[in-house]
Amino acid sequence: MAKLFKNMFATSESTALTLGEELAQKGVSRRQILKFSSYVAALMALPASYSTAIAESLSKAKRQSVIWLSFQECTGCTESITRSFSPSLEDLIFDFISLDYSEALMNVSGEAAEAARKQAMEENKGKYVVVVEGSIPLDKDGIYSASGGHTNLDVLKEVAKDAMAIISMGTCASFGGIPAAFPNPTGAVGVHEIIKDKPIINVPGCPPIPEVMTGTIAFLLSLGKIPELDHLGRPKAFYGDNIHDRCYRRPFYERGEFANSFDDEGARKGYCLFNLGCKGPVTYNACATIKWNGGVSFPIQSGHGCLGCSEPGFWDKGSFYSPLSTPTSGLGKAALGAAAVGTAGAVVASLVQRKRREDILKAAAVPKPAETKMGADDE
Amino acid sequence: MSDLLDFARGPALQVSVMIFIFGVLYRLISLFLTPKNFIASPARENVKGAFGAGVGEIMRRMVPDKEYLRKEMFAFLNGWAFHIGLAITVFGLAGHIMFFKKILGFGWWNLPSNFVMLAGVITLFSLVASLAHRLTDPVLHKLSTLDDYLSGGLTVLPVATGLLATMHLGLRYETLIAIHILSVCIFLIYFPFGKLMHAFLVFVTRAKTGVEMARKGVKL
Amino acid sequence: MENNNPTPKPKDANKAVEKFLVSSASQLAPYLEACIHCGQCAHACHFYEVTQDPKYTPAYKLFPMIKAYRRSKNPLNWLGMIPTLEEDEIAEWQDLVFNGCTMCGRCTNVCPMGIDVAQIVGATRQALTAAGYYPEDLMAAAENVVQHGSPLKVSTSVLEDRLEWIADESETDIPLDKKGAEVMFTISSIELMKYPDSVGAMAKMLNAAGVNWTISTKGYESTNFGYLAGRPDIAKLGTSRLVNAAEELGVKELIIPECGHAYSVLRWNGANIMGRPLGFKVYHITEYLAKLKREGKLKFKSIETAFTYHDPCQISRRGGAADDARYLLEGFAPNFVEMKVTGNQNWCCGGGGGVQAMNKYRDMRINVFKIKAKQVEETGTNTMISACANCRLTMDESIAELKWGGKLDSLVEILADNLIED
Repeated sequence: MAKLFKNMFATSESTALTLGEELAQKGVSRRQILKFSSYVAALMALPASYSTAIAESLSKAKRQSVIWLSFQECTGCTESITRSFSPSLEDLIFDFISLDYSEALMNVSGEAAEAARKQAMEENKGKYVVVVEGSIPLDKDGIYSASGGHTNLDVLKEVAKDAMAIISMGTCASFGGIPAAFPNPTGAVGVHEIIKDKPIINVPGCPPIPEVMTGTIAFLLSLGKIPELDHLGRPKAFYGDNIHDRCYRRPFYERGEFANSFDDEGARKGYCLFNLGCKGPVTYNACATIKWNGGVSFPIQSGHGCLGCSEPGFWDKGSFYSPLSTPTSGLGKAALGAAAVGTAGAVVASLVQRKRREDILKAAAVPKPAETKMGADDE
Repeated sequence: MSDLLDFARGPALQVSVMIFIFGVLYRLISLFLTPKNFIASPARENVKGAFGAGVGEIMRRMVPDKEYLRKEMFAFLNGWAFHIGLAITVFGLAGHIMFFKKILGFGWWNLPSNFVMLAGVITLFSLVASLAHRLTDPVLHKLSTLDDYLSGGLTVLPVATGLLATMHLGLRYETLIAIHILSVCIFLIYFPFGKLMHAFLVFVTRAKTGVEMARKGVKL
Repeated sequence: MENNNPTPKPKDANKAVEKFLVSSASQLAPYLEACIHCGQCAHACHFYEVTQDPKYTPAYKLFPMIKAYRRSKNPLNWLGMIPTLEEDEIAEWQDLVFNGCTMCGRCTNVCPMGIDVAQIVGATRQALTAAGYYPEDLMAAAENVVQHGSPLKVSTSVLEDRLEWIADESETDIPLDKKGAEVMFTISSIELMKYPDSVGAMAKMLNAAGVNWTISTKGYESTNFGYLAGRPDIAKLGTSRLVNAAEELGVKELIIPECGHAYSVLRWNGANIMGRPLGFKVYHITEYLAKLKREGKLKFKSIETAFTYHDPCQISRRGGAADDARYLLEGFAPNFVEMKVTGNQNWCCGGGGGVQAMNKYRDMRINVFKIKAKQVEETGTNTMISACANCRLTMDESIAELKWGGKLDSLVEILADNLIED
């Protein structure tokens, strides 16, 4: 990591060289470029032939300028991306991108940092990529979050203006995330609510899987285009599959074998976590396939249900531990209210009915039987 | 599409469960509040108690007398098929049990999901068969009203959508389960106001007839 | 003769709706909510079985009352937003509830919901009658009750003449208005006029058992055509004549002769109609004879004849007295064979519920008898006995029409013929 921070910022002279030339200078072989390219191709489920194409375009490309903006966030996404294995962040920032601005990772601060951002924007006008981490508050003109005297809203608009593309990194930047959770005191929104005229890639997750973040960046810079996105603007390659469909515990679901608490027999046996509120069936992400920490594990594997963190509004969909098939709102009071109204209604209706009955009986009282002297002969 | 699921799990379920509880109580309580008939004719001597007679009759009518069974074999078998099938699917699936647990505060053991799915398929065919029977049989056709077709159709819907949801067939899971929950909501809303109420009334009428027959000493 | 409550005219559908509302009390309300239109009752109904016409499905006969009930309960109705029963609907059902139903209750046996169809048909008859929709011949019979004390115009003098003649014929005593009697015997005018032998037979057995009994000239007609015709006023008139006569005599027991609905009306509804408990017990003749036999007061020679027993619906299925008829046959008729479908599941004769009194359905009744004929033939006997004069009248008509080879007899007559007198 020491090396990482020392060499954080690429010098501006190097931008004159292509990636291939630069890497060759540093002793990075074409073979290594190919290796990296095949990672990307594999991650994005591209045909094998793509890796050569990626390598070709990578060699010819200039190092991509990236501006990383931090808004209303917890830096969890940055924490996560620093733990990417392949391609690692080091792979990216040392060899392929020029991370020109990142409040969390850059050495400098204050005016110097802002100057670096301005410089990068100037030099790579129309070509730089913006990564946004965190949501943007809109209430009260966005004064809830600011840096260097500028609100997030202003900074985003300014930086986005000449960007090639924007990557909304994490659920906050994608959909507003936890800052936007009810009652959303700052009026937080995702990037796409503000920026309408630039290509935006949503990479949600709280945080997103490191490889998904690096993979998306790598795709963008190596192929120079936006990957195929789903209806929520997420790369299909990573968000195309339902976690439930890819979950190794799925057979237990089919068999109806469930953990009903976190320390029962079912939990120990690794049964399905549906009853503990797992949102796997409605969550689209690569957790069950790419997994975390270099493929070691993922939440369900560690015994906790999926929270659905890559889905919009996951924070506001009832308890994380309430199963998908249950109502999100409490029914107790509603049920009691309905019961009371039903009972009262029935009593009133019955009284009305009784009254009508009595009225009819009164009006057309069945007269007392005629006490006739019966037995008269037929004439 | 996730918004649809939120709507289904949130306000839709809440409102429909409220209407269901309101309607069922309204109907049952107003039924129990109907003016009582004056009954002074003495019961036959040595007849069994009303409670036993009522419960006995509820059980006895589970299977018709063999004299009628011969002619009603289809209705009998098919009726049992979808009633048991519905019971298995509604009360046997883990997801459903979670629903009841949330509302009632307690749950019970679930059945294997694949087994429930099989029961669901049988139920679906059985329900469709009963609707087809209703459309083709002259007696049933004569008796049938909109209520019959609505009740049948609204029972088919949750079964069909539930099967699609468990099979993850056609649409995305969250859309399927949202549609499934919404179809249950419609079912719950209609339930108290049509013949679906027979699920409750069957105990009332059978027991009533059982008590009346016991009073007269009629042994069926 | 004065009639306080003339038969309603002209037709007024609204009266039916009101009547439905009044009669849908706890006894009927659950049934009116419960029908699931499963149609299983169709095959239990003899009228459906012989015609295969879906309109005879018992559940279909409930429609007007269910409709009126639902509408009366529907909150929208209180705002006058729900239309009421139409005249043509009522007219359509007049035929079904009067002619097309004998109120035999067989459909209730198969009903998965246990709906008592017969009771609802009874209430529907009342409502339709109140609205002016009724069969003229049944109503005429009911009105004879007011005018002449009996649907067959058996007035007191006719009664006295007939009984005197019967007593002579059967060589037994028939006490009339006997003070101090403990048991009051009633007669059905069908027996008195068409089957006098059975009246004699019953008298003979009561005398042989040493019963202190009598017939009252103030209340003797056990049939209740007011009930059958949907005239609660006449039904109450008939019932109160019997009750008043019995209570005036101070008897402890009252016997209904071989008549189905007479038993079910007085035994199971008499006190309800009167609005107070009765001061005496009500027995059907088969129950009473069984009681005498149990007490050892009656003994019979056993007979070789093979026969089968036709359960009258109102005595067995709706009366609960099926076992007593069997008890009487025990030891007496070793060759007695049950029909395959018997007891409380028995097929109706086709003329109950006043249908016998309506000419329009003569052909239908004859067709219905074919079910019975087949049932008897399957037993391998050619004789059936019954304990209801109305069943006999209905089936005798068909036997003659079809020239059926079998025979129909009365239970009490066969018993009396083989009575061991000391």
